[in-house]
Amino acid sequence: MRPTVEEQLLGTCTILEKVVSPCVADPYARTILEGLVANLRMLTGALPAVAGFLLDDNQATAGLLVQLQAAASPELAASIALALARPEPDAADRAALDQRNHELRELLSQALGGGALTPAMRAAALAHMTARAARAPMRYVSTTSPSAKAT
Amino acid sequence: MDSDLKISAAPATNQADARAVGAASPTEQVVAGLEALIIDAIPTAHDFGFVGVERFAGGLSRENWSLDATWVDATGAQSRRLMLMRDAAGTLLPTDRKREFAVLKALEAASVPAPKAHWLDHDGRRLGTPSLVMDRMPGTCDYLVLNGDRALETRLNLAREFIDLMARIHAVDWRERGLGAVLGVPTGAPSLVELAHWEAEYRRVRLEPHPELDYVLAWMRLGAPEAEAIVLVHGDFKPGNALIDGDHISAKLDWETAHLGDPLEDLGWVTNPVRKREHQIPGAWEREQIVAAYRALTGRQVDEAALRWWNVFSIWKLAVIQLTAVSEFVAGRYNRVFQTPSWLYRPMFQLMEHGA
Repeated sequence: MRPTVEEQLLGTCTILEKVVSPCVADPYARTILEGLVANLRMLTGALPAVAGFLLDDNQATAGLLVQLQAAASPELAASIALALARPEPDAADRAALDQRNHELRELLSQALGGGALTPAMRAAALAHMTARAARAPMRYVSTTSPSAKAT
Repeated sequence: MDSDLKISAAPATNQADARAVGAASPTEQVVAGLEALIIDAIPTAHDFGFVGVERFAGGLSRENWSLDATWVDATGAQSRRLMLMRDAAGTLLPTDRKREFAVLKALEAASVPAPKAHWLDHDGRRLGTPSLVMDRMPGTCDYLVLNGDRALETRLNLAREFIDLMARIHAVDWRERGLGAVLGVPTGAPSLVELAHWEAEYRRVRLEPHPELDYVLAWMRLGAPEAEAIVLVHGDFKPGNALIDGDHISAKLDWETAHLGDPLEDLGWVTNPVRKREHQIPGAWEREQIVAAYRALTGRQVDEAALRWWNVFSIWKLAVIQLTAVSEFVAGRYNRVFQTPSWLYRPMFQLMEHGA
């Protein structure tokens, strides 16, 4: 399908930069516009990677939950077992992948927030969370200048 | 151009009110609201002029407006260089202008360079949202000043001034200045008080599960330290919240997060690894030098494990602030796009596992 999503996003950035931005005199509005364009550019690269990321993360999170089941309360362990028994969603269905990710990460939150993990479990959880953070496709793009305040 | 607005008539209060309520643009609203606010405080004020009205591009948690105001009142012609801080519709950091105003008033007689606060619109009756007006101090703001163009020795002097300023804030006699009643004295360990506050904020703003933040939260609950002292904490101590005039600090700004708590909270904020570019000078002013300088200035011990806890807390709090931005953006109240702060996870895990 042409223009592709990426082509449309990049084209929008170009138009905003070449046509709209020169007409924006207000410094605040200009800063906001620069941030929006930078984010659109980030999305151009990130968008195609999101479904694959969710698919991989769902598999990795499910694997970690299996390891953590032994330290979980009986109720949580049962919830994990129930969730893991459900079939994985279609790899092309991004909304379903997102929903599955939400469900598995909610269980992981409960498992990690409860404490009582063995050193091996903790190491596995840290490795999983660190790797996930490194692979996350969408990133904040800072456009703040040194003379502006950044909280 | 609407950044220079002259209002030369001698308005009655109700005329200023009408303009504030029906103002067409944010600039006009600020000018009309400020005029009404001044008349509230100085009923004889008239013949107003407002010049150079401009909203700063920076300031992620509030609207910051700069302007010069003139008027005539019973004592004669007046002229003020002013800053107006107005609550934004969406914010990274919900704070209370009333508390900030009280802190600035309390600091007027202290040896801490802070702007003189003039007027408060605590319920937004005049300016649309809660606002406060203060002097505009000389100097410029550069959050990377410690790693900017100045010579190393000049930057080192500035770095020492920053830590000296932190020590002076922590030395403010908050009891004598009545800040206990305004800010609240922590009952129990300030670390647990702050953790409870920010955990509530986390629960309020999160749109999806964040196992990483829950894991760190569980760790923090288990190791929350006791405080060596209860002091006035700035709460967002950084070069980006200061003005530099020449090669010296002329003012510490942004007191909206000030509270009573553990001095290591501010020290943990400036020594946390994700803010290195702002607070440290590689090879010359790093964690070791900052902590040593703080110990020398205050005589406090600064327990390393406690400081590490505050380092982790600082990063976690920053993550929650970013989640607030995500939530506000999704709700349509914030004009910048933030993402899940996954870049903050690894530094927290490293501190928890291996120390600073």
